[in-house]
Amino acid sequence: MTTAQARLPRSTPPAQPTDADKQLLLFSQGVELAARDLYKKALESAKYSDDEVAMLTMFGEHHNTYAQAMNGLIGKVATNMRNDSLYSTHVGQLASAQSAYAALQALENTVAATNTDILGQLRGLDAARILASIITTEARMAAVFGTLPALSLTSALNSSANSLAPTIAQAPEATTETSVSE
Amino acid sequence: MNNISRRDALRVGGLSVFGAAFLAACGKQSGVVESSNILSEGVVPPTTALPAGIVTDVVLLRTAASLEYNAIDTYNAVLEGGLLTGDYAKLTDAVKRFRDDHQAHADAVNQLVVASGGKAHTCANSRIDTLYIQPALELITAKDNPDMSKDIVALAHALENLATQTYQGVVASLTSPSLRGDAIRVAQDEARHAVVLAQVLNGGYASVGPTTNEATGKPNIASVPSAYGSLSSVLLQVGTPNADGVKAALTLETPSLNGLIYDFVDCQ
Repeated sequence: MTTAQARLPRSTPPAQPTDADKQLLLFSQGVELAARDLYKKALESAKYSDDEVAMLTMFGEHHNTYAQAMNGLIGKVATNMRNDSLYSTHVGQLASAQSAYAALQALENTVAATNTDILGQLRGLDAARILASIITTEARMAAVFGTLPALSLTSALNSSANSLAPTIAQAPEATTETSVSE
Repeated sequence: MNNISRRDALRVGGLSVFGAAFLAACGKQSGVVESSNILSEGVVPPTTALPAGIVTDVVLLRTAASLEYNAIDTYNAVLEGGLLTGDYAKLTDAVKRFRDDHQAHADAVNQLVVASGGKAHTCANSRIDTLYIQPALELITAKDNPDMSKDIVALAHALENLATQTYQGVVASLTSPSLRGDAIRVAQDEARHAVVLAQVLNGGYASVGPTTNEATGKPNIASVPSAYGSLSSVLLQVGTPNADGVKAALTLETPSLNGLIYDFVDCQ
């Protein structure tokens, strides 16, 4: 056996989410719905230009799309309930455009950090693939708030947000190794 | 209707038998020792087959590290060559920050490589360099290119998107969940770099989402081009415009099987 062969995985990750994956994705769905509602609230609470409204509406719709994608992954486990704790943290900061942008950037950084933490626990590849494509977009949305209305490199590139994700233990992995009797 | 006479049929049959016998005589003959030198001049040198390339977590991570060095080398070339001029010179600090971020990413990814039992890869991906970066730099630094600095930013934007896609793409191939988390952590940084550069190229709130250039029908640079991170090819248009005002287009793609940094690939 070569060194490279020795490093080959002994089992292939499952495509479908495991039970633990579904609990993690359910948490992610709650976070996405809280983000959707915060964008909705921000648009109701302060005055923005048409271009800003278009951008904020698009960002809110993205989060709604992600919550719906979770529905497809977790099926009956889905509750479609927002994470009230995250919503409450930011809802009081949306009165002016300036404070709302800071709050929404913090929100995006938190959601990205949470989903990153969840991705690092997922065993199923289908969900990992989708979550990865969501996280890169959420990082982009966070960075936008660091570039507009004026560029702040530190604000656009740095994130010290903490993950809100729970740690959920996976069931022991079923072995796929086969033994040949001689 | 074709009329074939008995004589014609015998003639064709005879030729077939002769042809078969001739071909058999040209083939392998009993009692004759086979030689690789038959029908050739000189001695055929022995060939050495490449080792089998097996895609593992280590190979994927080494490939990601190699792309970090592509970015580091490109940013160094920009800084050392003084390629940002005029208003774009204000971006020098950003370019230094991006380069330093990529060095930190390369170091972090190589630590994962070593921890996974592999050998750190500390140089650029030569295939990416040869196919995309060098041709782009040649077009950009052409004497008659009126947009050199803007094109440099466009190249950097394309490379940041390519790096984002590479990390996002390997998530589906990495077998370890924790490595997937590590990969997407780096992808986020690259995506943030891309947003800063996108705002330089096409700034303002109206340019955050996807828009189309009415003159060309092609998509404009966008900070958040889609709801989900794309894995499709990255279009880069740089260089001296032709008579119609169109620049040369390069299509960048994430490393494929022939661009991966397998275990047997070393820095030259």
